Amino acid sequence: MQPIIKVKNLTHIYTDGQNNKIKALDDINLAIMPGEFVAIIGTNGSGKSTLARHFNALLQPTEGKCFVNGLDISVDENIWHVRQNIGMVFQNPDNQIVASIVEEDVAFGPENIGIPHAEIRPRVEAALASVNMTEYAKHAPHLLSGGQKQRIAIAGVLALLPQCIVFDEPTAMLDPRGRKDIVKIVQNLNKEKHITIVYITHKMEEAILADRVIAMEKGKIVMEGTPAEVFGQVKKIHELGLEAPLSAEVAEALRQAGYELSRDIITDEELATALCQ
Amino acid sequence: MSIEVKDISYTYMTKTPFERQALRNVTVTIEKGEFVAIIGHTGSGKSTLAEHLNGLLTPSTGTVCVDGVNLNGKGDKVRSAKHKVGIVFQYPEHQLFAETIYEDIAFGPRNSGKSEEEVEKQVRKAMGFVGLDYDAFSTRSPFQLSGGQMRRVAIAGVIAMDPEYLIMDEPSAGLDPISRDAIFAQLSTVFKERDIAVILITHSMEEAAQYASRLLVMAKGQIAIDGKTELVFKEQRERLQEVGVDIPESIKITDLLCEKGLKLEKQAITKEQLVQYIKKAKGWS
Ligand SMILES: Nc1ncnc2c1ncn2[C@@H]1O[C@H](COP(=O)(O)OP(=O)(O)OP(=O)(O)O)[C@@H](O)[C@H]1O
Ligand SMILES: Nc1ncnc2c1ncn2[C@@H]1O[C@H](COP(=O)(O)OP(=O)(O)OP(=O)(O)O)[C@@H](O)[C@H]1O
Ligand SMILES: [Mg+2]
Ligand SMILES: [Mg+2]
Repeated sequence: MQPIIKVKNLTHIYTDGQNNKIKALDDINLAIMPGEFVAIIGTNGSGKSTLARHFNALLQPTEGKCFVNGLDISVDENIWHVRQNIGMVFQNPDNQIVASIVEEDVAFGPENIGIPHAEIRPRVEAALASVNMTEYAKHAPHLLSGGQKQRIAIAGVLALLPQCIVFDEPTAMLDPRGRKDIVKIVQNLNKEKHITIVYITHKMEEAILADRVIAMEKGKIVMEGTPAEVFGQVKKIHELGLEAPLSAEVAEALRQAGYELSRDIITDEELATALCQ
Repeated sequence: MSIEVKDISYTYMTKTPFERQALRNVTVTIEKGEFVAIIGHTGSGKSTLAEHLNGLLTPSTGTVCVDGVNLNGKGDKVRSAKHKVGIVFQYPEHQLFAETIYEDIAFGPRNSGKSEEEVEKQVRKAMGFVGLDYDAFSTRSPFQLSGGQMRRVAIAGVIAMDPEYLIMDEPSAGLDPISRDAIFAQLSTVFKERDIAVILITHSMEEAAQYASRLLVMAKGQIAIDGKTELVFKEQRERLQEVGVDIPESIKITDLLCEKGLKLEKQAITKEQLVQYIKKAKGWS
């Protein structure tokens, strides 16, 4: 099978307004397969957003290559394919809304890429249904809660029928309820619609829902594996300036104090089961 | 010395179809030396309340006084009362404006008439506070940064003003967990040393539980619960659920363990407590 996203020796150097050169990505190699759910973690400035912005050609490599379905994102003719197949959802729900009525907002993407009119309506309806926002189709987005706006932003991306959606800290601004809604929707899109998910987060309870966790530091990928593999190495996680989910942290502290506990413990349920058997 | 909010109400976009009452008869006093967390469902009015505390919004009815001075007025006294209150906004990009990070953070101290030498000292201190390396970042643009770095600049800008009342609206959104802990640890130190008031608005129940001694829970534009943090999470669970507020992860684990037969002596708030109580319950210490 061909990877949906493939990154080869990717380096990205920014030049800012003050002429500073900042190396944000340093020789990255990565392949993401269709249907995968990949979480990316890492400290502030480690390069997560910069990497993700290459996936749909919002940024171009300084050195190296990025391919989507085998197509080079730095070739102009491929950009259309890339943008249609890799959707992005960002942190701030307010900055992603463009229209004053929900259904128009969701229709904006498909209209923009020239989808025929007759096809747009069913796409918008399906997209709103996928995020449980059908009843808000005629509402004004700015009066919705942050979590609802974020669902509209996801619907807008879904209306393009992408193969993959990249989420850049989609729950950072949301209250616990909104956070739970979004996480559930993301899981459904992956499990039921087989959409490939790339999910950047600082919340380790969310990262453990992925099939694979990638940890970044200073523009490099420094750890990779299943959530249990990555968060089982609590010491290494700490060295990277990161934190494991609370249950994994507690299990590690108990192991440090000399008690036998499995390294696979990463959820509350697993911790409770291990302690109460 | 306190911020005194008396019976304030506030309505956005009055006399339009979008009219929305965001605060209803809110009364609360926050004293210097208090660390207060404000939590509540999205849209419950937290940010609207925060923006009243330094006079950014003027209440439709009611008054807000800082150290006895009503903010709804003019003149030097009112201006200096407003200057005592520093606010870190929910969206940091709303408060960044200068060409370089140095200039952005220097704005506050410079404005209060400090010498350039003192200003630089203040900027260095504030950047240290949020963990931004002075040499690497001071000449960079505040707009061309990672999300978490941008938030740190916004926090540093307010810290540099040495506010007596520090309001932070979701300061940890986008911060990596270890930096967040480091910033909060420093905040706790400053809070104790300088006897300021800290008002923390947060969706993280863990943060609220760990750092604040008093909890204000907002619902539908009103303060639904006002009490000691520990007691609120212990005794008001049903009410919290009613107003759509979660409980800290550590308490969820405490509950789950109890359900499965391992009863901890107390509700754990921090990781350290959780570890300690588990050891005790298991007879390991
Ligand atoms: N537009 C830009 N111009 C110059 N430098 C930038 C720009 N955007 C990001 N950077 C720099 O590139 C590096 C990587 O930033 P990036 O946004 O990818 O980090 P991140 O891992 O997403 O961090 P965060 O967790 O804070 O969102 C940082 O050092 C940052 O300062
Ligand atoms: N500029 C505005 N114009 C109109 N209505 C507004 C405006 N800002 C806020 N509101 C409305 O006022 C109410 C309270 O909003 P506020 O931003 O204070 O809530 P919050 O508790 O801070 O929410 P969140 O947790 O999402 O940040 C909400 O119903 C919101 O939609
Ligand atoms: Mg980022
Ligand atoms: Mg708010």
